[in-house]
Amino acid sequence: MDGLDLQIRNFLYRRFVETGQAPRTDDAAAEFGLRGEEAEAAFRHLHDAHALVLERDALEIRMLNPFSCVPSAWRVEAGERQWYSNCAWDSFAVCAALHSDGRIESSCADCGEPLAVDVRDQKPVQRDYLFHVLVPARQWWDDIVFT
Amino acid sequence: MNLFRSEEHLERWLAGRDPGALTSVDTLSELAHAWYADRLDPDWRPHTLEQNQAILHNLGLTGEFWQLG
Repeated sequence: MDGLDLQIRNFLYRRFVETGQAPRTDDAAAEFGLRGEEAEAAFRHLHDAHALVLERDALEIRMLNPFSCVPSAWRVEAGERQWYSNCAWDSFAVCAALHSDGRIESSCADCGEPLAVDVRDQKPVQRDYLFHVLVPARQWWDDIVFT
Repeated sequence: MNLFRSEEHLERWLAGRDPGALTSVDTLSELAHAWYADRLDPDWRPHTLEQNQAILHNLGLTGEFWQLG
């Protein structure tokens, strides 16, 4: 990831938080005066560097971790907005990234019953749930969508 | 990376698979803040593997399962 990649990465996150919409390569090209293929190459660099996650079959952003750019089973209310995240970890991380209290809503992975956790001053209010990580850390990025 | 209502629910979901790692939501929240609090900083730089490993270590998330590289 070179200096321009990093600037583009920071622009993508900033734009996403401003608009709630995943920026496209055209947006990055316009912002930085790039040709389309240069912006596309930057998206690929950022994906390969795990700075974002592209869709499997398109140059469209699926994840700006901890945010999910597509609807998911993890919903977070934080910073007076509604967000989607990618997993339990990312749900707490949305509050962390926004430096905000929040409310996480999803369901128990086993029984499907709704669960909700409020976050106040960086701490969970409902503390009885358990967090489980199935995939060992070294393999997280082998298939980040599954992880 | 999921939440469960109890260990009984986790065991049922695993259905005989080997479990991974289990922590409290208190630890999860601390982990999320240590890992992601700088994610929207205007001058954000990627964490090094060593920085992230130290975050895990400081929360007691140690052992082979939590080795990043």
